[in-house]
Amino acid sequence: MQTVTIRPMKEIKISVEGENISPDKFGGKTEKEIQSLVAWMGNQKTTIGDLFSVKVEGSGPAADTKIVLEGDFSRVKRIGEGMTAGLILINGNVDMHLGAKMSGGKISVKGNVDSWAGREMKGGELIIEGNAAYYLGAGYRGESCGMRGGKITVMGNALDFVGEHMCGGEIIVNGNTGILPGLSNNGGKIVIGGNTSRPGSEMSKGTIIVNGKVEEMIPVFKLEGDEAVDAVTYKKYTGDVVVGGKGILYVK
Amino acid sequence: MELLIKNGAVFDPKNGIKGDKTDISIKDGKIVSNVSSKATVIDAGGRLVMAGGVDAHSHIAGAKVNVGRMMRPEDTRSGISPRTKITRPCTGYTVPNVYAMGYRYAQMGYTTVFEAAQAIMKARHTHEELEEIPIIDKGALTLFGSNWPTMDFVREKNMDKLAAYVAWGLLASRGFGVKCVNPGGGEMWGFGKNVTGIDDVVPVFDVTPKEIIVSLMKVNEMLGLPHSVHLHCNNLGNPGNYKTTLASMELANQVKASKDRQVMHVTHLLFNSWGGTNWGDFESKADEVANYLNNHDNVTGDMGQMIFGSATTMTADGPKQYANAKLLHAKWSNGDVELEDASGVVPIYYVKQISVHAIMWAIGLELALLTKDPYKMLLTTDHPNGGPFVNYSEVIALLMSNKKRQEEIKTVHEAVHAKNKLPGLDRELDFSEIAIMTRAGTAKVLGLLDTKGHLGVGADADISIYDIKPDQIDPSVEHAKIKSAFSNAAYTIKGGQVVVKDGQITATPLGRTYWVDAKVPEEHHTEMMKDIVKKFKNYYSIQLANYMVQDEYVTHPQVIKTGAIPVEVN
Amino acid sequence: MTVITDALCPFCGCVCDDLTIVVENNKITDIKNACKLGAAKIMGHHRIEAPMMRADKKSDFKEVSYEEAINEAAQILFKSKRPLMFGWASALCEVHKKGILLAEEVGAIIDNTATVCHAPSTLAVHEKGLPTATLGQIKNRSDVVVFWGSNPVHAHPRHMGRYSVFAKGFFQEKGRKGRKVIVVDVRKTETAGMADEFVQVQQGSDYLVISALRAILSGHADVVPESVGGISKEQLVKLVDTLKAAKFGSIFFGMGLTQSISRYKNIDNAISLITELNAFTKYVISPMRGHYNVTGFGQVCSWETGFATAVDFARGAPYYNPGETAANDVLLRKETDAAMIIAGDAGAHFPADSVRHLARIPVVQIDPYWNATTEVSNVVIPVAICGVEVEGTAYRMDGVSLRMRKMIEPTLPTDVEVLERITERVRELRGE
Repeated sequence: MQTVTIRPMKEIKISVEGENISPDKFGGKTEKEIQSLVAWMGNQKTTIGDLFSVKVEGSGPAADTKIVLEGDFSRVKRIGEGMTAGLILINGNVDMHLGAKMSGGKISVKGNVDSWAGREMKGGELIIEGNAAYYLGAGYRGESCGMRGGKITVMGNALDFVGEHMCGGEIIVNGNTGILPGLSNNGGKIVIGGNTSRPGSEMSKGTIIVNGKVEEMIPVFKLEGDEAVDAVTYKKYTGDVVVGGKGILYVK
Repeated sequence: MELLIKNGAVFDPKNGIKGDKTDISIKDGKIVSNVSSKATVIDAGGRLVMAGGVDAHSHIAGAKVNVGRMMRPEDTRSGISPRTKITRPCTGYTVPNVYAMGYRYAQMGYTTVFEAAQAIMKARHTHEELEEIPIIDKGALTLFGSNWPTMDFVREKNMDKLAAYVAWGLLASRGFGVKCVNPGGGEMWGFGKNVTGIDDVVPVFDVTPKEIIVSLMKVNEMLGLPHSVHLHCNNLGNPGNYKTTLASMELANQVKASKDRQVMHVTHLLFNSWGGTNWGDFESKADEVANYLNNHDNVTGDMGQMIFGSATTMTADGPKQYANAKLLHAKWSNGDVELEDASGVVPIYYVKQISVHAIMWAIGLELALLTKDPYKMLLTTDHPNGGPFVNYSEVIALLMSNKKRQEEIKTVHEAVHAKNKLPGLDRELDFSEIAIMTRAGTAKVLGLLDTKGHLGVGADADISIYDIKPDQIDPSVEHAKIKSAFSNAAYTIKGGQVVVKDGQITATPLGRTYWVDAKVPEEHHTEMMKDIVKKFKNYYSIQLANYMVQDEYVTHPQVIKTGAIPVEVN
Repeated sequence: MTVITDALCPFCGCVCDDLTIVVENNKITDIKNACKLGAAKIMGHHRIEAPMMRADKKSDFKEVSYEEAINEAAQILFKSKRPLMFGWASALCEVHKKGILLAEEVGAIIDNTATVCHAPSTLAVHEKGLPTATLGQIKNRSDVVVFWGSNPVHAHPRHMGRYSVFAKGFFQEKGRKGRKVIVVDVRKTETAGMADEFVQVQQGSDYLVISALRAILSGHADVVPESVGGISKEQLVKLVDTLKAAKFGSIFFGMGLTQSISRYKNIDNAISLITELNAFTKYVISPMRGHYNVTGFGQVCSWETGFATAVDFARGAPYYNPGETAANDVLLRKETDAAMIIAGDAGAHFPADSVRHLARIPVVQIDPYWNATTEVSNVVIPVAICGVEVEGTAYRMDGVSLRMRKMIEPTLPTDVEVLERITERVRELRGE
């Protein structure tokens, strides 16, 4: 079991690219080795050790590595990018691209996350106790698939474009979302606890469940009737009819 | 500047050298018979030496390519490398940025590349991009096959005016040759339609693709252009289209070449050698096409080989691209150019387990293996339609090794056994034949064999050295080594300057842009211009005064002057 | 006296190239064929005469030499950890190339004015592609012309006359009479006033309306409710029929689509509508680009970096992610620690909070004219006017590349010279 605790040594204004903050990159390394890992801040190439205090307890491979982020990481991006195993605990807020392309392991955030959390996720778990921003679990510009696997849970709210181009996996938002969740959904599952608007546009497969209100429905869904899911009755829609979609949209 | 390459195992088909250890002397950018003792010496150490690669058909610059980049940030991000002391950043895989375009060709040992198609109205854009592609010599083929003036003069059967238009169009676009894509189809696509064969009549203009092709061949030879008409046949990508291809090739018999070369070059034949009637009974007819080439000396072709993985289809065949996008449910860009031609860009992913793709892949290889004379079948991937050019080494390895082919066949859809002849073909091309398909043959087809594609005295000092010893390697068995050697040249020399060493760029000089300045009798030009002036007055959306490409866009020109020759008609 | 014919207008995306310019004593005394907006641009107005600097934005500017201003600009960029280089749309492609090179050298984000205008269109193109045509194709063939969220009478005055409505073409000999003009907008604009049909859509509902049209077009009218975005189903069905009946339909769109709710998704949806209409008849879509060379920046940036705009060179290789790398993304997060604003007026068009941040950081302005950006600048370098005093390349809104003329001799250095000198100074500072 390896636990690495890192904390910013000064206020970070220009965002830091922290793709090396990952169990795969920290696992089995000494404090010194971790401190010398590269981190970019704007156009300055620097090191983890230059920006963060690093405390290492124990040693272990990625799967047995726990990284604890104390302090303000709201300007540190790409944390946990591509991770395959291990655990990251973030006690505050965090910047964009958290857990992008991760395929295993778990990231847990006490605060809020910025946009593109879980971008192109393939597996693993991402838990956000606060709010998410735009493009939660979405793809990169132009790609036909975003999230392919894994699970994202947001206790708070999310903004627009949740799960855009989802091809697999699960996203649960307990609160409200912005517009166009599940856009071009091609096989994932999205559950929205609160309100949303314009869900499921161009969805071809997958499932979207809305427990709150849908402010505006896009006129591309066929109402099939009522259906109960987990003892809750929903209006069941299929669509997007324009793309010959076989997606299912449940609205309470 | 003097350079001496010693101890190279040279393959120079034009001059009959097949692996002999020959020294190559270079002075002031040209190959000479000998140099002084002050010359810098490169010891090739018994390794393979060829002329720098020459590519006759690749989409490297212009509006279509740039639309490809704009619509595919996901492609751009897939091939990124940062700037270095001497190189700009590189991006992209199927649609590289201009710097990657030049560096990556040079890294493969290629030194001359021609952009496959430019519309005259958009030629300025093509040249802006060509100007920024480092290292390689380049040029662009100009589209004429659906232009309104072309069709008017063809209908009028006025070859003098057509020749004058082609000459003027090449000047206006600083073009190198006559490109003809789905002739007549570009105009049909203006209203969302297409031609279905060479005998369809294009409404209002009242001409057939057959007439357009023959007329352009006639004027091409009247003008004595270095290259022949370069044809993308009608019906590309439709099962059964091999019949259109053969009918098109037969048209070459109607015109005699003005030079020692073909009178028609048919491009990316992989997409035009299809049998069957639909996607279900789709099969290869590469053997029929190769058979035709084997029996005729007036037509040449290039493969358009497909590479599994990501590709971006981009062509002036506008209607085909719309159909493609619909079939693939893919994003689609279209670019009609008023009075001239069309274009379409659609991303694609070629998959081994899709039967149609597997059959296509095999067709490309069959074309090369079944065409006896390598001078008649050039190596291309119709970059990036079949696949990105950085994969040429894959194609070379496949052509040189039946073992590799058989291994690949095991991994692709089994349809190749029923629909293709490839599994039973055991021909393996040798270094000489590869040198022809990628250098001497290309140069000959383009009409540039005096200075390109060979290593004799008088040639441009464009040379590539690969890290293989031809007398010590069995390409059939060691195909992986062949592939890796041809992927990263040990040396690439451009105009006598070392630009690549061990796969790394060492210098980035700017190459030259080849274009043709053809002369016609003044009266013909004057008559033709009357029609052009009317077109600009009434139909174009820009002024004639702002149409032609200005000198500022071609800063390193290599102009080939030609003149009007009376053409012999059979 | 010199008369320049077939001159090109450096104002809007139409890039009209049939202007006649009369020059006397190196001054433009008459302009023929340009619209009011173009003529005003070409005639020019009071310009900045000399470079000026101030350490504190609250004090007055002090006139300095080009040498000093260029040196200061280079220092600012060289020291910056998160520089932003913005604007570009009123400059020529030759300037863009120098700008991108400098952005690479200093590890900056480079972005252009499309960020507040048609950048959403680029995002839509990533999703759906761009089925379009050159403007002459419209002139010669289009019999159904739709302006959606665009008011050319106001913003592109000669568009309809030269290209899309009144122009006579080969297959459209009757000009206006042979075309059906439809305007879709939230209010009755001047263009709507002269259209054959005006479809009024509720603010923010364009996305829903486009989806409804697509549903009807694909044979699923049954799922469309009785009213969408304030338009009756009946009217929507009729509109689809009208669109389908075209021989060559064209849709031109503007800020009404790119800047209302769902933004780039509106364009995305519209492009899909066009693609789906192509199953029935020929259709193209075309963005009504604002500045005469905003399209040019997108073209140059694409071929040089692979990305059309909003490129971040901080790590030495291009990175692109609008929402993260666009000008306002970094300004609103207060990350930018220095900015160069050239040929674009950030001060006038950016959100207030962005401008407030610009006021806090060192700003270099390169522009012929005093504008809102000047108010927040520290170093101001006046330059010759592109397309009037400097010749070079611009791309019309439909992607056609054209060479702008030099009409009069410049009296000040050009953008290209200034950027070259700044780049040279930056290299000296780096010790090269």
